[in-house]
Amino acid sequence: MAKPFHRPHSNTWWLRRGPYRVFMLREWSATIFAVYTVLLLVLVSKVLDGPEAYDDYLGVLKSPLMIAFHAVALAAALLHTVTWFQAVPKAMPLRIGEEKVPPVLLMGGAYATLLGASVVVVALFLLD
Amino acid sequence: MPDTITLELFRYHPDRDERPRFQAYEVPFREDWVVLDALNYLKDRVDGSLTYRWSCRMGVCGSCGMMVNGYPKLTCAAFLRDYLPGPIRVEPLSGFPVERDMVVVLDDFMQKLSSVKPWIIRETAAETMASGEYRQTPAQLAAFKQYSMCINCMLCYAACPVYQHEEQFVGPAVLALAQRYNLDSRDQGNSQRYPVVWADDGIWDCTFVGECSAVCPKHVDPAGAIQQAKIQSTVGFMRSLLPFGNR
Repeated sequence: MAKPFHRPHSNTWWLRRGPYRVFMLREWSATIFAVYTVLLLVLVSKVLDGPEAYDDYLGVLKSPLMIAFHAVALAAALLHTVTWFQAVPKAMPLRIGEEKVPPVLLMGGAYATLLGASVVVVALFLLD
Repeated sequence: MPDTITLELFRYHPDRDERPRFQAYEVPFREDWVVLDALNYLKDRVDGSLTYRWSCRMGVCGSCGMMVNGYPKLTCAAFLRDYLPGPIRVEPLSGFPVERDMVVVLDDFMQKLSSVKPWIIRETAAETMASGEYRQTPAQLAAFKQYSMCINCMLCYAACPVYQHEEQFVGPAVLALAQRYNLDSRDQGNSQRYPVVWADDGIWDCTFVGECSAVCPKHVDPAGAIQQAKIQSTVGFMRSLLPFGNR
């Protein structure tokens, strides 16, 4: 039996096509959430430390670097939201008899739920 | 319209070549020719040693999958006119060892395919032909029909970066076919398949890049099938934690 040829793998495979690049961006952006979660946990601990510690920390969060970081984190969260909602009709397809419920409806449902939850959160914040 | 177009073909002869090379050929440009027509022209008239798989010429047999300009395609569905002005680079499907020229080694795929038992399994062995056919409503058929359209062309494997880097990954088409039988109302073999499907090298190796579904010529959507199986696997795991859980 003659020898088959094994082609080498390149570490830059993900640069070759647009969808691969979006995938890598999605994976890497998860590290941004890890950092954001740490900042959020620090915030909670500052609440426990008292009003002064909390106000000091708010000052830190208002620095231009922190605002820039949160803007990036928001963009990353939006990327995850969009790609996650695109996955909804694939991962949880609904059928009524023989008919498939249109994917747009399922995605619309996900966005409507997000909107509803956001309204509740904003209302709680404003009512405070 | 040009008179000719250039094809750059991946050439590898295991007895003669240490490593592969690319060889350029000029072929007549025809509006209605696909890459496979050009390959057949070259094999018939220019270089009889050119080696590749093909059969039906109409997207049914799944034999003629190759990388066309770096993208996994059935060459019977890749029109020359879509690659003007050329050149068109044709390579064997990525991720598989190369036997010769455009022919890849299928052993790994075939072994994985049989590992998920892609046939209808019945628990009751006593059933015979005399018991009659298994009936199915159109709605029950619709539940899995999409996944039954797979022609084993392996374009999804060539598009999957996970399979390219982790050979042990069961891979998109095989997992979609497992799902096809698991969703079939006539089948009772889920418990025999999940040791392969629900394993780390099964659905949990998938990072949902999604390109398997993008390149599928039959719209099987293996990425969707795998995500559904992930949900079923998670539900199965949660149930196994319950005292009365029984998966």
